[in-house]
Amino acid sequence: MQFSIARDALLKPLQLVAGVVERRQTMPVLANVLLVLEGDYLSLTGTDLEVEIVGRVKVESVSEVGAITVPAKKLLDICKSLSDGSSIQFTVNEQKVNVHCGKSRFNLTSLPANEFPSVEPGDDDLVFNTQQKEVKRLIERTSFAMAQQDVRYYLNGMLWELRSGSLRAVATDGHRLAMCTRAVNVDYEGVKQAILPRKGVIELSRLLTEPEGSVQLVLGSSHIRAHTSDFTFTSKLVDGKFPDYERVLPRNGDKIVMGDREALRQAFTRTAILANEKYRGVRFVLSDGLLTVTANNPEQEEAEEQVAVEYQGDGLEVGFNVSYLQDVSSVITSSQLKLTLSDTNSSVLVEDPENSDSVYVVMPMRL
Amino acid sequence: MRKIIHIDADCFFAALEMRDNTALTHVPIAVGGSARRRGVIATCNYPARSFGVHSAMATAYALRLCPHLHLLPARFDVYRQASQSMQAIFADYTDLIEPLSLDEAFLDVSQASACAGSATLIAQEIRARIACEVGITVSAGVANNKFLAKVASDWQKPDGITVITPEQNDAFSCALPVKKLNGVGKVTAHKLEQMGLYTCADLRAAGKAVLLDRFGRFGELLYERSYGIDEREVQKSRTRKSISVEHTYAEDFNAQGCAQHIEPLLQALKERIRKCEAAKAVHKLFVKVKFADFTVTTLERSAHSVSIEVFGLLLEQAVARSAQKIRLLGFGVRLMQGNVQDQPSEQLMLFG
Repeated sequence: MQFSIARDALLKPLQLVAGVVERRQTMPVLANVLLVLEGDYLSLTGTDLEVEIVGRVKVESVSEVGAITVPAKKLLDICKSLSDGSSIQFTVNEQKVNVHCGKSRFNLTSLPANEFPSVEPGDDDLVFNTQQKEVKRLIERTSFAMAQQDVRYYLNGMLWELRSGSLRAVATDGHRLAMCTRAVNVDYEGVKQAILPRKGVIELSRLLTEPEGSVQLVLGSSHIRAHTSDFTFTSKLVDGKFPDYERVLPRNGDKIVMGDREALRQAFTRTAILANEKYRGVRFVLSDGLLTVTANNPEQEEAEEQVAVEYQGDGLEVGFNVSYLQDVSSVITSSQLKLTLSDTNSSVLVEDPENSDSVYVVMPMRL
Repeated sequence: MRKIIHIDADCFFAALEMRDNTALTHVPIAVGGSARRRGVIATCNYPARSFGVHSAMATAYALRLCPHLHLLPARFDVYRQASQSMQAIFADYTDLIEPLSLDEAFLDVSQASACAGSATLIAQEIRARIACEVGITVSAGVANNKFLAKVASDWQKPDGITVITPEQNDAFSCALPVKKLNGVGKVTAHKLEQMGLYTCADLRAAGKAVLLDRFGRFGELLYERSYGIDEREVQKSRTRKSISVEHTYAEDFNAQGCAQHIEPLLQALKERIRKCEAAKAVHKLFVKVKFADFTVTTLERSAHSVSIEVFGLLLEQAVARSAQKIRLLGFGVRLMQGNVQDQPSEQLMLFG
């Protein structure tokens, strides 16, 4: 195998593919990136056996096609440090891969391409196309609420729920929930659910770099794939039952509060400083036209923030984990924030009043 | 100098049953779970003990030793009430009371003014009042520390009192068999015997270094006790470290059979947490599984509130550790120590 490629063209797919390679692997070959040269296109593949990313890029010239694997992290570091606008020549020589660029020369170890495992996608149940920005928005709006290393393994990921004309993403760690629904052009009778693992969600989001570009999504029984002109992403799905999220969307909130989002976000950020470092509780005291947020910690220090809000009705005192409120007030981008509350033991529904594609639910704390 | 009294009721549950039904006084009786449901003996009276029956023995086995054993179900309300009456009597003498269980307590009467400050007379008076007001006998031990007071209360059971004066302290402790030391059970006693150590005199002779080397930190404790030394204070309230419930099932079942037991156990646990007002202090959840071969496994995980899902998953993993059938299941929570301000606020869950 021998070819040359522009350093700048190689860098982007290499970065995306190397992102999926874990620092520690169960098999040596998983530390490598698979390079396959066919015609004048080079494909690069990285995998951790759960998530696989294949990037494609056009090379400058081909002397001999072929396939080989090389250490992903080292190749990436080399490419990154070579100067912009340069051209890189790859030559496979026995078991070594020679990387040559101007006056720089590197000899990398390699493993044969046939040792590289591929993620076997099962049956493809459902195929549809949408714009990258739609998928990107679903992920950006909800991924912060995914659980991390929870024993309820099905929460360490994101639920995708597809029905005719819409795709919905739901993430929850059991304390708070984020949900976003976008219109997509798909025909499907009934409802199809799939849980994407946490890593798959994060990697997929990194791949969606062209908002107006198209992405083809293929939903199978055990895998999801995403194709664009530049890459193919495959991820195993989490085999488990996602909790019935509809059941926890509050429906009987009678206390509707409208406030300036930035003012609320800043109030949360400041009270958080003196909230208990471990439990993060802050107290809401709601009265006509005013939301008071207070925090105190074991050192008996106290913070109080008053935020003018649109509200008329009964008073309410309720506690929340301030980190959850900070997350929500940061991910929403509208100028106003709509909070719907009912009582001390019930969740708050947080919405963007200008765009109803996403809703957030945060359970209270007993302080 | 400290004056410590250890009060221990004589076969408490059984004594209360005999008090309420005098016909039972001379027949062997026991309070505990039925053999059919694989219960164990909680307490038995002295006629039953003469057959070799003792507490914590499987009821089925006790019935083999004493076929005409009269088995009674526990009446905890009655026992609790009697316990409270005893506590009220203790409180007339000192407020430094450390209850060890329903029927057992340490009293520090160093500062007491009753009976001219005599611990022996206070102990006598307490025994007389309990006999009169509660209707059961208790044994008392009086000494200058908790260890000796506890050994003393057992010395002339039932209905006895033993006083170890500071002058007798050294001679008394020297002659004690090692089995009398708390923390020395069958296993440790056997290890000590293999080292040729049978009494506290032997422990003294063996020396601190040998005991430390063999038993670590516990060795140091053994050495202290062998000289009748115990610096532990009488503590008014012992801080609770965990709350748990468990149940031995009438019949063993396999992993699939677990599901139906989750909800009742969880409800029982929640009820206990509520009673103890400990919901805010929860910081870990754990499950315990005892298999048919009596091996026990436990599994725990951090969490600030009780969650049926977490218990379900912990149980699934714990049960998978053995191919044996399951005999007992337990759910529990570990509690944060320290003052309430440091304790967590309870995060409510979306999915119950």
